[in-house]
Amino acid sequence: MDKHTINVAGAQEFGRARSRRDFFKSLAVAGAGATAASMLLSGKASAQTTDLDILNFALTIEYFESEVFYPAALNAGILSADAKTVVAQLVDIEVQHRDALIDLIKSLGGTPVNRPKFAIPDYVLASEGAFLETALAQELTDVGAFLGAAPMIQSPDVLAAAGSIAGVEGENVVAVRRLLGLVPYANEAFPAAVTMEEALAELSPFVVGGTMPSTGGPKLSPEEAYRLAHL
Amino acid sequence: MSEVESRIPFGIDREVSRRNFLKTAAWTGAAFSAMGIGGFGVAVGRAQAQGEYKTYEGLGDAAILQFAYQLELLEGTFYAEGVKAGLFEDAFLEQIVAIRDHEMAHADAIATTLGQLGADVPPTPQFTFPNGAFGDAATFLELAATFEPVGIGAYQGAAPALQSKDILAAAISIHNAECQHRCAINILNLVDPPNNLAFEEALPLQKVQAAVEPFGITA
Repeated sequence: MDKHTINVAGAQEFGRARSRRDFFKSLAVAGAGATAASMLLSGKASAQTTDLDILNFALTIEYFESEVFYPAALNAGILSADAKTVVAQLVDIEVQHRDALIDLIKSLGGTPVNRPKFAIPDYVLASEGAFLETALAQELTDVGAFLGAAPMIQSPDVLAAAGSIAGVEGENVVAVRRLLGLVPYANEAFPAAVTMEEALAELSPFVVGGTMPSTGGPKLSPEEAYRLAHL
Repeated sequence: MSEVESRIPFGIDREVSRRNFLKTAAWTGAAFSAMGIGGFGVAVGRAQAQGEYKTYEGLGDAAILQFAYQLELLEGTFYAEGVKAGLFEDAFLEQIVAIRDHEMAHADAIATTLGQLGADVPPTPQFTFPNGAFGDAATFLELAATFEPVGIGAYQGAAPALQSKDILAAAISIHNAECQHRCAINILNLVDPPNNLAFEEALPLQKVQAAVEPFGITA
């Protein structure tokens, strides 16, 4: 059986920061005031990432996907009927996740982070293939970020709710792989965790400078995040 | 006709399959259907956990893993039998083989962890499957669509009750793989869109036990 791999140079080249230095550069260019960014850039030691920090980080990703990323693809006129069905479903799913996270954050007495300003680079919307490659990277990151953060979550109720969402992001990976013609559709026995740093690197090309609000909350260096995620 | 449908490399007689499935469903009826466990697009939007994990508290990590080990063997055996029965070709076969291998890799990883904990690895149960489960592709796939939510619900339910953060990290990775399987089985079942849930559902221990008991897991 042939395995069809669609290589989209643009999306792959830009979807991930090439190095740690590039990552910090891209965040610096982006103005980097986000919850997530401050989680990385401020505070080197001794601080604890709270459940609310993690939920607000997840909310930032859901804002992006539900309000900007997937709607932009639907509006770009690049999707086949088959892809449109799945992407419309992705909008619907991520909207529900966004709303659920806002409710959960409020129920814990927290304040939902404001929506940062996002923009989609042209290369992402140049073709269905380019968009789907980026979508796959995004969904893999969603899964990985949760898998990396889960061991840090304190509340069993928050962990249960987050798991309910993360599993669906895993399903989204499979739905997008099918659209890309990748076989088998479900191909990982042990989906991989990513660090907060890697998750941010995925998101950073889409963040417009200067508008991401700081919650002043999370204080965690990449090293600390990695250590906690790999206890 | 969707793209997936046009690529089906073998004939599925949906009507014959549906009747066969109803027979198997009758067999497993008490196990799955009556409890509302089904893979057929049951979308219940829930943001808040409802405390399923509490039913796993007090078991301890080893006992949870011993149960999970048997679940993985059940699933792995089911997919292995599906492969052996020659029901699938091409992309469909590749997917069923991959899921079989994933379940067996999960079982191996769990057995290794049990060894590290100094806990017993349970003997392989004598599994029983409904008549006709491996008779045709559609019947098999519809049964697969009922299996996956049980595995998902078990891991999702048990995860917050785990003590070890290492074991938790592994368990949620496996949980995610099971969710990915659910979507893949949806694709093979021509469910469109295949990612048809916004929230995965946790299951309390008793529901999982009742669901797998007819297949030979009695622990």
